[in-house]
Amino acid sequence: MSHQWESLAAVRRSGLTRRSVLGMASTAAAGGLGALATAGCASPRGPREISILDDNTNLVFSEGLIDQFEKQTGIRVANYQMANFNGLHDRLATLFAARDDSVDVVMTWAGWSAEFGAAGWLEPLDESMLDGVTPSARDCVSWGGQLYGVPKFVSVQTMFYDKRAFAAVGLDPAKPPATWPEFVAAARKLSTGGRYGFACDMGNVDGAYQNFLRTLLLFGGTMYDGAGQPAFHSTAGIKALTALRDLYRRDKVMLPASLQLTNASDLATVFANRQVAMVFNWPFQWGEVKKNAAKMNPADVGIATLPGAAVPTASIDGSEGYAINRFSQRKAAAMEWLRFVKTEQVQRQIVTKEGWLPVNETLMKNPAAARALPVIPVYQRQSRYQVRRFGAPWYSKFTDELSANVTNVMLGQLEPAEALNTAARNGAAIISRVRGTR
Amino acid sequence: MTSSTTTPPPKAAAPQSGSTKGRSPRSPQERSNERFAWSLVLPAVVVVALFFLFPVGYAGWLSLTDAQQLRPDATSFVGVENYGTLLTDPQFLAALGRTAYFTAITVVVGVGIALGLAILLTQEFRGRTVARVLLLVPWAVPPVVNGIMWKYIFDPSWGVANAILRGLGIIDENIAWLGTGELALNAIILAEVWKLLPFVTLILIAAMQSIPKSRYKAAAIDGAHAWSRFRHITLPGIRYALLFGLITQTMWSIKVFDSIYVLTQGGPARGTTTLNYFGYLQTFSYLDVGYGAAAAFLVMLLVFGLTMLYVRVLRRTEKVEA
Repeated sequence: MSHQWESLAAVRRSGLTRRSVLGMASTAAAGGLGALATAGCASPRGPREISILDDNTNLVFSEGLIDQFEKQTGIRVANYQMANFNGLHDRLATLFAARDDSVDVVMTWAGWSAEFGAAGWLEPLDESMLDGVTPSARDCVSWGGQLYGVPKFVSVQTMFYDKRAFAAVGLDPAKPPATWPEFVAAARKLSTGGRYGFACDMGNVDGAYQNFLRTLLLFGGTMYDGAGQPAFHSTAGIKALTALRDLYRRDKVMLPASLQLTNASDLATVFANRQVAMVFNWPFQWGEVKKNAAKMNPADVGIATLPGAAVPTASIDGSEGYAINRFSQRKAAAMEWLRFVKTEQVQRQIVTKEGWLPVNETLMKNPAAARALPVIPVYQRQSRYQVRRFGAPWYSKFTDELSANVTNVMLGQLEPAEALNTAARNGAAIISRVRGTR
Repeated sequence: MTSSTTTPPPKAAAPQSGSTKGRSPRSPQERSNERFAWSLVLPAVVVVALFFLFPVGYAGWLSLTDAQQLRPDATSFVGVENYGTLLTDPQFLAALGRTAYFTAITVVVGVGIALGLAILLTQEFRGRTVARVLLLVPWAVPPVVNGIMWKYIFDPSWGVANAILRGLGIIDENIAWLGTGELALNAIILAEVWKLLPFVTLILIAAMQSIPKSRYKAAAIDGAHAWSRFRHITLPGIRYALLFGLITQTMWSIKVFDSIYVLTQGGPARGTTTLNYFGYLQTFSYLDVGYGAAAAFLVMLLVFGLTMLYVRVLRRTEKVEA
């Protein structure tokens, strides 16, 4: 008991009371909170650990390739996140704007390499990083002559058609439509018994943009003129949008859900389920049919180049790659991941397990790869013609403007010429604002 | 046996003749009390300052600049130009109209259904407890999961909505529920009403249960019909809860984001882009930070203004009653 009194006396002598201790603790907590918020959370990772933010297109990395990378390089992948493609742009933009170094490697593609590269958020790379990579894959990871990444797969749209449906309506399964009029005629014939001749994924901004862009190229148009100003409102553009609208509204050969489909996977599913007889889709469509073989025999799938209108054929690019976050503290280790991705070991899995085209030039020419993925020979024919995406620093807002007008035409609320002229006028203003020449 | 260091209660400050500016000098004990009080609220003040006041202030500053993430080094002060541009921007004005429609329908339909459900669930019937538990289901579902669930319901190829309507023979061909702006906006309203229903219903049930049953008995003895009982007993008894429900539903509806993000991302053709989503697109998709901040500020002012209006109505009701 006397010990307790002595302790209390000592506390009193020191001037400390419960109240003052509580007050000091509270003030210290406030200071700690302030320091924590202003300092941020430093990443505890070492120089031989990387973090990757990918989209959800490829499963091969999380299903074994990361382990192989770690064994081969001694670099640990501390965090591998797969995010939905449709939400990834905004997530990356937030990450970069905050100069966040918690992610070292980010997924990129034509639409974003230009935007993020021009903003100074992606680490510029040396051209030697593309050694052994097929030249057609360069566009998706570069802008203005500067390389910002390494492609992980090549993706170009080709036509997939249901041979059995062709035969059922008296069309020759060995002779897919090669021109736009042939395509429309086939779509009309194939739209019967609850099945539609054609479908596309126009349910979101990128979908509406890319479906118009593909038709624009097939009709001989282009997105920008030599001065970098909108040129899609040309005669070719108006014809292209009219043709797209007619498939949906006049001929009614396009699946009505086309305006609600927001991604290529849903498009692949409606084809694999035999709801539609023809789609223009990315190479993985073949793999989707193989996975869903109970509904559709892969032998029933025909693959061909896209039917041209004013040109023999043309297509759009959807290749994806990896880039390094400019604010990363582990760039050397991140570079190792980029080198790993383009190796034949990785590319073979992307081809055989997922159905994407390889970025590795040797593999692209390998007959075994073509046997595993019948899209490869068609791609080789398709890529002799124009394949574009028109990525630009103003891509997001520009595509939103164009897509809204394209969708309004599809909904019958605007005429093609009116819509494209409006989009071109507003698009020019967007370009000026981003360039700072407003 | 324990020593006590309890502080004596502060003395009431007596007015002193020598005080200047009408304030009496504080005793050391009072100053100590004040310091202690400040030290206790300091952590909360720091949190509010860091995570509310600073972001709001910074956003306010950004809204007065032409800041763009694509040209971060070329930011300049533009005054209220962004606000001027917004008020003449057809996309912003269209989003304002959509928000007004969305809010009005969500609040009227949501509160109306909630009122009906609350009346039903305060009646005595078998299974009432189960029904009340089921009522909480939409509230228990995370907002994004709720959005995904409705996306499946409205799927144009295999969605439940089309399956039910086809099964009932109401439609022959599937409807693309999210394929046009008008349909999609109403589909989102349905998803929002479903999500917000439990909250308003619960506060109305609580308010109804606080009304003494003797009043209903007396009214019944006097021969009052159901409508009269509702009009003269129930409604006055729940008016504060109802007003609170209206305020919160209005604020949540103006700020709607998750359902739009998951179901339509503002499309098709911007047909479901409301004010809050407009601000999000400008800031995070188009990286036009100054313009997006101005839009966000206008949304904040709108919510603040409407809340003030509701509070005034509430006060006026209280005064009339007094």
